Amino acid sequence: MNVDGRTVLAVARKEFADHVRNRWILALALIFVVLTVVASLLAGGEAGGDSLLGGLEGTVTSLISISSILIPLIAIMLGYATISGEAESGALALVLAYPVNRTEILLGKLGGLASVLVVATVFGFGIGGIIVTVVAGGENVTAFLTFIGLAILLGLLYLSLAVFFSTITHRRSTSIAAGVLIFFWSMLYGTLIFGIYLATGGTLQDMLAGEPLPDWFWGSVVLSPMDMHQSAVMQAFGIEQAFGFDITPPDYMTVEYLVAVQLVWVIVPLLLAFWAFRRRDI
Amino acid sequence: MTAVETSEGTDSGAETATENAIVVEGLTKEFDGLVAVDDVSFSVRRGEIFGFLGPNGAGKTTTIKAMLGLLHPDAGIVTINGADVFEDGKAAKDDLGVLPERMSFYDNLTPVQTLRFFAQLKDVEIDPRELLEEVGLDHAAERKVGTFSKGMTQLLGVAQAMIGAPSVYVFDEPMSGLDPRWTRRVREKIRALNAKGATVFLSSHNLAEVQVLCDRVSIIDGGELIATDTVSALSEDALVKPRLELVVPGLEGEVPAVLDDLEGVDSATVEGDVLTVTSNPERRATIVAALVEAGVEILDVQARQPSLEDVFVELVEESEEAGAR
Repeated sequence: MNVDGRTVLAVARKEFADHVRNRWILALALIFVVLTVVASLLAGGEAGGDSLLGGLEGTVTSLISISSILIPLIAIMLGYATISGEAESGALALVLAYPVNRTEILLGKLGGLASVLVVATVFGFGIGGIIVTVVAGGENVTAFLTFIGLAILLGLLYLSLAVFFSTITHRRSTSIAAGVLIFFWSMLYGTLIFGIYLATGGTLQDMLAGEPLPDWFWGSVVLSPMDMHQSAVMQAFGIEQAFGFDITPPDYMTVEYLVAVQLVWVIVPLLLAFWAFRRRDI
Repeated sequence: MTAVETSEGTDSGAETATENAIVVEGLTKEFDGLVAVDDVSFSVRRGEIFGFLGPNGAGKTTTIKAMLGLLHPDAGIVTINGADVFEDGKAAKDDLGVLPERMSFYDNLTPVQTLRFFAQLKDVEIDPRELLEEVGLDHAAERKVGTFSKGMTQLLGVAQAMIGAPSVYVFDEPMSGLDPRWTRRVREKIRALNAKGATVFLSSHNLAEVQVLCDRVSIIDGGELIATDTVSALSEDALVKPRLELVVPGLEGEVPAVLDDLEGVDSATVEGDVLTVTSNPERRATIVAALVEAGVEILDVQARQPSLEDVFVELVEESEEAGAR
C-alpha cells in the first residue's frame, strides 16, 4: 500500500488545529504547570527547609502519583472516539469517499493526537520544571527531562490503546466503556496481583518488613503500564523508597528495560488498530 | 443477469469504462447472516442522471457504501471510471464527488477551512470562496460549520463534492430532510452539473424528485434490484394504465352499475366523491357518455398519467408477492 505523505500531513494538521482551536492544548499545558508547582510546594513543605518549593526530585515523587493517573486519562479522552465517533457521525464516510486510503487517515489522526499530547506535556512540565529549577535549584535536571520523556511515553501508550479500541467499537458509548476499562486496568491489575501474592502465602507483614518479593511479582509489572511508568521514573531519580517503604526492584528492571516494554505496549495496539481499521465496515 | 461470484468475469471492463461511469456487478453483502444486498448489478452511463430508488431499508445505503469502498462486500465488484473501488480505490475516487446521506463536517471549522481540508485530500488547488458562491453560501464563509442549518450543511456538502470539478457524482438522498426552498437549490445544482457533462448517480426514496431529474432509474427492494430502465419504459412494463378521475357527488361508496358490464373498463373504484376508472385512453369518451346516459351527475373530469409512484408501488408489490410465493 502506498502512503501519500501529504494526505497524512493534511489530516494530522487538521486534527492538531482542532485541539488548538478548542483550547484543549492550552488547558492541558496549564494543568501540567499547576500540578508541577503544587507538587513542588508539597515537597517543599515536607522538606521543611528555607525554600518554599521542593527540588525536582521531591517534586516528581509527589507528582507521579497524580500524573501517572492524569496522563492516561487525558490520552484516553483524546483518542477513545477517534474512529468510532467519526464513523457514527458520518464524518469518516465523507473523508473516505476521497482518494485516500485508510492507513493514511489513521496515521494522520495518530500524528495529530500524538502532537497534541507531546506539545502539552513538554510545555506544561517544561514550564513547571523551569519554575521549580529557578526557585529551588537545578539538581536532577537530567532526571527531570527523563521524567518528561517517560510521561510522553505513558501518554502515547494509552493513546495507542484508546485508538485501537476506537477502531473496533461501533458507538461512542461502547468506546467510552472501553476507555474506562483501559483506564482502570492498572488499578485492577494491582489488586489482582496483590490478591495472588496473599493467596500464595505472602503476608502484608513480610511486605512491610522489606522481605524480597517473589520473582513473578516483579515479572508481572510488564502487564501494568502505570506501574512500569512509576518504576521507571523512580529509577531515573534513583529513588528506592515510596510511601516510606523500601522497594528494591530486581537488577534487570532498568529504565531501558521498562521503556522497551512500554514501546511494545505502544506498537502492538497500533498494529492491531491499522489491521482492524482496514477491515472495518464504515 | 447472471450472478457474479468472483472478481473474474469483467473481461469487458476496459471497454465499458469509456461509456459507463459506474459499473456494479453481482454486489452481495450480508450483515450477521441477513442479506442486505443480494446480487445487485447495474451500470450508470456517462452523462446521464441515474436514479436509485427504493423504500427505506431496501439496501440503498448499503449499495452506495459498497460503491464507495466503505463496506467490504461478500461478493461482487464495483468500478468507477474503469478503476476497481476495492483494488484501486484512489484511482476510482480521484474523479468523483460524493454527497453522503448523513452530512457531517467538523463543527469547529469554517466552510473555507473545511473546503481547504478536503481539497488537500484530493490534492487540488481551489478557491473556497468561489465554490461557496456557486452554492450560495458566500455570506456564511467565516461562520463555524457547527452553527449551520441542515440546508446550509447540505449545500456545503454539494460544494465539497464539486472540489476538483469531478466527472462523476454520487448523491445519497440529496434532498432528504430539506425544506422546499433548499430542495430546489440542490435540484438546480444537480441539473447544472449534469448540463456541464457530469454523470450523476442519485439515490432517493422520493419518487417525484427522481421522476423530474433522472434519465433512468433502478428500483431496489428487499436487497434485490427489481428493475432498471427509463421511467416511461418502466411504466409500460409495469402495465400501469393512465387513469380517469371523475368527481361525482353522492356515490356513497358504490360504483355506478352501468360500469359493471361496460367494455374496456379495467377497474373502477370510489373514494369519497372521486370515481377512478382505469381503461385504455381511447375508451374514455364512451365511459363518460355511458355515465351521463345513466343519469350520473359529473362535476369534473381529469386524466391522470401514471407517475413513477404508481410504477414503483406496482413493481414493489409484484416483487413482494413473488417473494411470498
